[in-house]
Amino acid sequence: MSAPEHGLLERRLIIITGKGGTGKTSVSAALALLAARRGLRVCVAEMALESRIPALFGSSEAAAGEDHEIHPGVTAVRIEPYAALAEYLGLQFGGRRVAEWVLGNQAFRQLMDAAPGWRELITLGKVWHLEQMERADGTPRWDLLIVDAPATGHGLTFLDVPRVAVAAVRVGPLRRHASWVEEMIEDKRRTILLPVALAEELPARETTELVERVRRDVGVAVDRVVVNAVSPAPFPEQVPDLDVRLARLPADTGQGRLPPPATLAACARHLRERRELNVRHLETIAEGTSLPMITLPLLPEGVLDVDDLARLADAFEADPRLAA
Amino acid sequence: MTALGQLVETRRILACVGAGGVGKTTVAAAVALEAARRGRRAVVITIDPARRLADALGVDHLENEPRAIPADRLTELGVAGDGELFAMMLDMKRTFDEMVDRFAPDPESRDRILENPIYHHVSDALAGSAEYSAMEKVYELCETETFDLIVVDTPPSQHALDFLDAPQRLVEFLDSRIVQLLVHPAFAAGRFGFKLFQRGAHRVMQMIERVSGAGFLEDLSDFLMAFDAMSEGFRDRARQVRALLTGPTSGFVLVSGPGQRAIDDARLFLDRLEGTGVPVEGLVLNRMRTWPDGGDPPERVPADGDREAAVAVLAAALREVEGQDFPAEDAAEAALDAVAGYASAVRRDREACRGLVERAERANRFALRVPELPSDVHDLEGLARVAGALFESPARA
Repeated sequence: MSAPEHGLLERRLIIITGKGGTGKTSVSAALALLAARRGLRVCVAEMALESRIPALFGSSEAAAGEDHEIHPGVTAVRIEPYAALAEYLGLQFGGRRVAEWVLGNQAFRQLMDAAPGWRELITLGKVWHLEQMERADGTPRWDLLIVDAPATGHGLTFLDVPRVAVAAVRVGPLRRHASWVEEMIEDKRRTILLPVALAEELPARETTELVERVRRDVGVAVDRVVVNAVSPAPFPEQVPDLDVRLARLPADTGQGRLPPPATLAACARHLRERRELNVRHLETIAEGTSLPMITLPLLPEGVLDVDDLARLADAFEADPRLAA
Repeated sequence: MTALGQLVETRRILACVGAGGVGKTTVAAAVALEAARRGRRAVVITIDPARRLADALGVDHLENEPRAIPADRLTELGVAGDGELFAMMLDMKRTFDEMVDRFAPDPESRDRILENPIYHHVSDALAGSAEYSAMEKVYELCETETFDLIVVDTPPSQHALDFLDAPQRLVEFLDSRIVQLLVHPAFAAGRFGFKLFQRGAHRVMQMIERVSGAGFLEDLSDFLMAFDAMSEGFRDRARQVRALLTGPTSGFVLVSGPGQRAIDDARLFLDRLEGTGVPVEGLVLNRMRTWPDGGDPPERVPADGDREAAVAVLAAALREVEGQDFPAEDAAEAALDAVAGYASAVRRDREACRGLVERAERANRFALRVPELPSDVHDLEGLARVAGALFESPARA
């Protein structure tokens, strides 16, 4: 297992991906909170149809955008392809009016509605643009960008689009811009892909496949994995088989106060099985990816607000694998 | 309401839709397995680029053609008589190539398309083309009448709408004036009515050229011209696909789980599906935690709220059985935490899904609950258990 060369938060761009349902958005938000705590100016970008991150910070979606912080040090943006395209064309044509005229053209719109690939490209182009933005003093506007990327399968296609565009377009600004995006993605000091896994059979296997595919096909660096929602050890150390002991109790134990021992045992067994499943698959992920893992605890109620994000950020903070 | 069992026996296409990570693939495969048990010849298709289905079916890999699950394995799972189960994973590139092969009027047109750089990238690498080819495959399988039932596992929600819109979008695209202009510039120029439009469109194209660089529009035009030769075939096909999907032989099953994200996505999804006139037949809530005796979890643990007394009683009972050296207090505390935690988890799952269930009931759709299984569903036995939860004595959600 190789140790990462850089601390996670030393990158400019963290692209968070993983199978659907692994908690990519919560992890993105928690990492943003952690970075902000350390004094970094962070921008976290979502590309889902609906943004969730402002709500996690207790802010409304309307408050999101490049010019507002949803939390001290944290800015949240949702990248919408047509809006990003309008912005891009505005920059190309030297004014929003021309861009709006082009976008307002019905024929152009039909062409774009049908054309695949440009949404991914323009979205990554927008990320590149955010990364390039500077303050008046010449320092980067954001120290760190965190991208909550699409689920695994589409996530890799997504990262591959700039390369494809460079191959498909022969000359001109589009090709040049796509190559800038490609360079950003492949710059191992600047950009890192951070897979989020669950310690369960299929997510574990998919994480291994993801890492293999990244190493084989995509030029983006990946040097550690986040394993989310890991169950804690449920029983005192001396009684690893508490459920079995509970099942042995006389049937009338705790009558009136507690469910019957069979039910107690079943609940305890459920916890033990979840824990064992997690432990088993932490191992498969470690073996399959040969990467260091940052584990985050299961929050039984889900990740709903900034307090929950703080608990995840604490777990990140406590993990020695956050640093290089 | 049409029960899921009835759909499995009578429909030709069932599509499982929903957010990522809710177990759509598992549900799709369990539905197909049940169809086989009921004597049908069923195929399950996944268009998810990940390899879940092969995992769950216990075959080492899946291909772009349906692959039979061995008869002896199926027999073990209660598939008797004529029932058969096939599975396939969509290979976008190959399906697209086959489509071109089928619709191209002659070998020259076919080669012109297959060799065009834009086609190459559209069909091979760009997100979104999975949906086009998935629909084609479903239609093709339906047309050959090789299978009684086709169960489709769609990609996660944001993309699944592309999947529904794909045929329509293709038709609109081929009909669009910009395509016509790129394909038949002379024809368009000769028509007085196009003049005004054409001037605007030409300016738009000049703009595109400024960004895309010279040659891009040429490649695009070349590609579209070659494509246009096949457009009749595509257009007919797209209409047929839409008709098939929204017709009486198809049905959509929404799959969700108790997680808040899955539920939000499911709600969003329903809004859109209902807006497009797609036949949504019902709801499957996967991986629901259920109380051990099948009933309702207690409101409070312990029932009288006196935790200290409950710990004392339990610790005494444990010491009685396990001996004086047993860490009975710690064990009793852990047991109470386990019970209280699990009871609130069961309540939370039910509560989280209540809105979706009520909505399904109002619309006269089935709502089924699949209990969380002690381990992951990664083999045929696991699938059989999910199928059991869905079809045997279906738990009403």
